[in-house]
Amino acid sequence: MTAPRVGRTAIALAVSLVGSAATLAALAGGAAWAAPLPEPGYGLPRDVSVDGHRIDHLLYFTLGAITVVFAVVAALLVWSLARHNREHPALYSHGNGRSIAVVVGAVAALLVGVDGYLFVHTLGDMRSTFWNFPRAEAAEGAVRIEVNAHQWSWDARYPGADGKFGTPDDVVTLDDVRVPVGVPVVVQLASTDVIHSMYLPNFRVKQDAVPGTVTRLTFRAKVPGEYEIACAQHCGANHYKMRGVLTVLAPQAFREWLAEAGEDARRAYDPEDAEAHWGWEWRTEP
Amino acid sequence: MLGATLGRGAASGLPAPDVPDLKAYRLRPSEEEVTSYVGMVIFLGSWAMMFAALFFAYAVVRVRAPGWPPPDQPPLPILLPGLNTAVIAASSAAVAFAVRAHALGRHRRAARALGLGAGLGALFLALQAVVWAGLWRDGFLPSGGPYPSAFYALTAFHALHVLVGLAALGVLAIRAPSPRGLSRSAVRLWGMFWHFVGAVWGALYVALYLL
Amino acid sequence: MSTIAQVLAEASQPIHPPPTSFWRRYVFSTDHKVIARQFLWAGLLFLLLGGTLAMLIRWQWAFPYRPVPALGRLLFGSSGGVIGPATYQHLFTTHGLVMIFFAVTPVLIGCFGNFLIPLMIGARDMAFPRLNMYSLWTFLLSQLLVLASFLTDLGSAGAGWTTFPPLSTNVGMPGLGQTLVVAAIFVTGVSSTMGAINYVTTVIRMRAPGMGYLRLPLTVWGLWLTAILNALFVPVLGSAALLLLLDRNFGTQFFIAGASAVRGGGDPILFQHLFWIFGHPEVYILILPAWGILGDVLAIFARKPHHWYKGTVWAMVLVTVLSAMVYGHHMFVTGMSPLLGEGFMLFTLLISAPSMVVVLNWVATLWRGSLRFDTPMLFALATVFVFGVGGLTGLFLADISMDLYLHDTMFVVGHFHFTMAAASFIGAMTGVYFWFPKLFGRSLDERLGRAHFWFTFVGITAVFAGQLVVGWAGQQRRLFDPFQYTFIQGLRGLNQWTSYAAFALFAGQFLFVWNFFKTLFGKAAPAGANPWEATTLEWTETSSPPPFHNFDRIPEVVRGPHELSNPEVRRLTGRDYAGQAEVLPGGGEPGRAAAGV
Ligand code: HEA
Ligand code: HEA
Ligand code: CUA
Ligand SMILES: [Cu+2]
Repeated sequence: MTAPRVGRTAIALAVSLVGSAATLAALAGGAAWAAPLPEPGYGLPRDVSVDGHRIDHLLYFTLGAITVVFAVVAALLVWSLARHNREHPALYSHGNGRSIAVVVGAVAALLVGVDGYLFVHTLGDMRSTFWNFPRAEAAEGAVRIEVNAHQWSWDARYPGADGKFGTPDDVVTLDDVRVPVGVPVVVQLASTDVIHSMYLPNFRVKQDAVPGTVTRLTFRAKVPGEYEIACAQHCGANHYKMRGVLTVLAPQAFREWLAEAGEDARRAYDPEDAEAHWGWEWRTEP
Repeated sequence: MLGATLGRGAASGLPAPDVPDLKAYRLRPSEEEVTSYVGMVIFLGSWAMMFAALFFAYAVVRVRAPGWPPPDQPPLPILLPGLNTAVIAASSAAVAFAVRAHALGRHRRAARALGLGAGLGALFLALQAVVWAGLWRDGFLPSGGPYPSAFYALTAFHALHVLVGLAALGVLAIRAPSPRGLSRSAVRLWGMFWHFVGAVWGALYVALYLL
Repeated sequence: MSTIAQVLAEASQPIHPPPTSFWRRYVFSTDHKVIARQFLWAGLLFLLLGGTLAMLIRWQWAFPYRPVPALGRLLFGSSGGVIGPATYQHLFTTHGLVMIFFAVTPVLIGCFGNFLIPLMIGARDMAFPRLNMYSLWTFLLSQLLVLASFLTDLGSAGAGWTTFPPLSTNVGMPGLGQTLVVAAIFVTGVSSTMGAINYVTTVIRMRAPGMGYLRLPLTVWGLWLTAILNALFVPVLGSAALLLLLDRNFGTQFFIAGASAVRGGGDPILFQHLFWIFGHPEVYILILPAWGILGDVLAIFARKPHHWYKGTVWAMVLVTVLSAMVYGHHMFVTGMSPLLGEGFMLFTLLISAPSMVVVLNWVATLWRGSLRFDTPMLFALATVFVFGVGGLTGLFLADISMDLYLHDTMFVVGHFHFTMAAASFIGAMTGVYFWFPKLFGRSLDERLGRAHFWFTFVGITAVFAGQLVVGWAGQQRRLFDPFQYTFIQGLRGLNQWTSYAAFALFAGQFLFVWNFFKTLFGKAAPAGANPWEATTLEWTETSSPPPFHNFDRIPEVVRGPHELSNPEVRRLTGRDYAGQAEVLPGGGEPGRAAAGV
């Protein structure tokens, strides 16, 4: 009659074990996405930004357009290579009104249809989004970050609770930028040695960091996860190693992280440590 | 070297038509002289682009600077360089005179004028050296930021051109007296070069010292 | 019987006796034909060097951290034949510089410019033969400086061919190597300027009687416009290099800024302006001669006049004029003012129009021709294709928004390899195969030529397409080990296959080397004056190779450059072509029977 009791405890134990194992597994599973994933296939990297599709649209439009142009012209060429060979008697013509009209017409069509389309759309996208910093900063809950690029890493600085840069509660990170989903992120870039270029493949944006000036970059994240910060401008022997991680968090998670990190920062603040005080007054007009 | 290269002004070998106005006839350029003239014009145009780029660089660093001249640095002297402007202008005039004299076959006169031009050119360099020495003593060094950088780069680069022109004028002055000593276009082309160098100085003086 | 015009021309360009001493003849020669051959040798040797450097780049991307076979121990013995990050930056920097300034430029401009301009316009020599010689020797000096830079202990230049400061100053690249290379750029600039002055003057002043501007062969148009661009913009590069040298060696502060500046500070972007004001015209400097060569070669091998000659000429002129107004498209992400950026974008999109006219005119020239597929024609046709790809990919980059993503990725590298490393390079190859008989009196072997062609065409397309695809997927350029990035790891295989294609391409080039030497020193039969039945003066009015004085009698030009398949001419001469200076039996100039297309 003890056996059943043993059995019951055994079952309870097993259940609890399985349960905890499951939760661990779940956590592990949760941790699994917490690292930049390699991109599937050869196409564009996953677009995880709100506005990246504008650029992708133009990329695919141009790809389609030039494929058609290339195919048509190549077809003409191949045709005349195949048919108009030694046996074919050459036509004596320096070009006449009609043939010239065909050339000019084709060029005009391409200029208006392709170049024109690209110009208009790019103008719109740049003005409305990619280079529209006042609008981004004015947006509700916009996140401001100062990034100092140097050989060969990315220092990021958040204003902390007081919303001001260069104060004890600034959150400073190394090669680790965190942003919330949905809201505009405005980055002000500087460099202390050579020119670098902050490049976010999954967000389709890029901006040089130039010594002696502050440049700006803005984007909006859409999908939580970890993505890569790449350096696009050759900046010395270890240019290839200048890799950071950009973590996109749910708004709540981001707020918690920032508050926590702000606390740590205030505790760890050391006025003597000049190295740590590279921040600058946020530039409204750089 | 350039003038020597371009200036192969042999007469065109055409039979001389008997024209009333002998002076005009003497000044009539041969085919080869026109060619070398065109070459020199293109060369100067091209070299002007180089100086244009230098001036552009000067303008950019100046516009970016908070103040000009920066508060902690001495203003440049105006008088001595101003005098220098007059010197190089006079030198240009002398050379212009020499060119015409030589073209008309007055070789001794041409030689004297060339000598004078060269002398004034040397004086220009001497005064320039004085200016540099003075500033240097005041601790105005190229490493002191964009302001001295621009000043030394432009003036030194210009001085190099003066040096080249000077050497050429010297050689011409020595060769000029003998009737067959020089081709017409050798004198003419080096003259053009010299005027060019003078003009650049004018621009330099205004941009660097006055503005 | 020679006309007054010819007498005058003869008078101003008398025949000089050829020099007798060995040195004056083959070394310190002022004969434009000798100088052209010297430029060809200098260029081809550095082409080999640049190609070898490219192979090292490709090796690194195919097999990172693995010792380079054969060459490795020799070059990087200290690291056991493995390419290190520091070495890698020297590799791509010198590869780019060597290819652009010291390989393609001397072949395309130094060799063909020198050889063809006087011969095609009917002159006895350049306007300034001695200046021409100085240009060659300053160029050789610059090549020596580059070679010397490899021997310095910190290695050669490493700041990229664009040499952007502050990286290219002592802040980023201490050591003599970078200095020597910047000096080399300055010196080669001086050489180019001298050459340009000579070319421009020669075309303006030395054209044979009757050779009006609109009768110039398109090759001459291309070379002339290139020379004009050189004369105008190489000096700008010169001053950039000069200021950079001052920053490196005399402590000035034009380009050093921020924390790396002692105080105040200069402007790194200033250098980029100066560089690209030169840099964009430079890319047209490299393509215009190729365009010109194609214009003539396609017409001659299609046995059909070039379609809308005037249109092509004006298109090339327009490109030349616009070339300096688009340079900002290299600087979209440097933080330039939006308005400026938009302006540059507009001009960049506009400049593609004349280029399209040029390409479509080629197609129209081939259309309904009677094509002959000799090796020069094969290379010419390949050039049309690859330029099409290269040019069209330029449209992506012309747009600021797409450039935000594509800038400094391999897509840019693919774009400019298709335009420059493909179109300019095999455009030059077209010229080599086409004018070899005129240069050396013998024709290159056709069978070897064909083999070389297929290796080159297929190889180049594969390699540079590979670059475009990885660029599209986001891979940045100038990465010692791209696979540090997880988002690039999926491209490992593609990068490796691209490398295999590159090795095949390189191997294929030795068919050309072999062909070259075999023809030169073997016992090939003399080519004859006009093996291709061409129409321009260098073929119709003089022997192969031409005598020291080029033309026994300075020709008088009576018609345009491509009088091919004119029925009237065939009736009078039984041939399908008439030379530019050929006086037809009965002296009658056949009316341009503008038979409908
Ligand atoms: C020979 C050299 C060459 C040529 C001709 C071109 C031609 C063009 N280039 Fe290119 N370019 C370079 C060499 C060249 N380029 C180099 C070296 C760089 C990079 C430097 C560096 O950063 O290291 C560069 C970089 C570069 C950039 C900067 C990219 C970046 O850094 O982010 C841009 C942006 O606008 C650009 C645009 C263009 C455009 C619009 C053209 C136009 O002129 C193209 C016009 C041509 C066409 C539109 C094609 C027309 C053809 C058809 C219509 C038919 C085709 C079909 C068939 C033939 C079958 N180029
Ligand atoms: C005209 C210029 C030119 C040419 C021809 C080439 C040719 C090639 N290039 Fe180059 N390349 C550049 C200009 C050129 N390139 C520039 C400007 C850069 C940018 C550098 C920078 O980022 O700063 C670059 C960068 C560059 C990169 C990117 C490096 C990086 O970003 O990290 C790569 C990688 O694949 C590459 C590959 C190749 C290959 C495989 C070839 C192949 O086509 C090579 C094939 C081999 C040959 C063409 C040689 C054949 C030899 C002969 C025919 C001579 C015969 C001799 C005798 C008869 C005596 N190049
Ligand atoms: Cu930082 Cu590349
Ligand atoms: Cu460009």
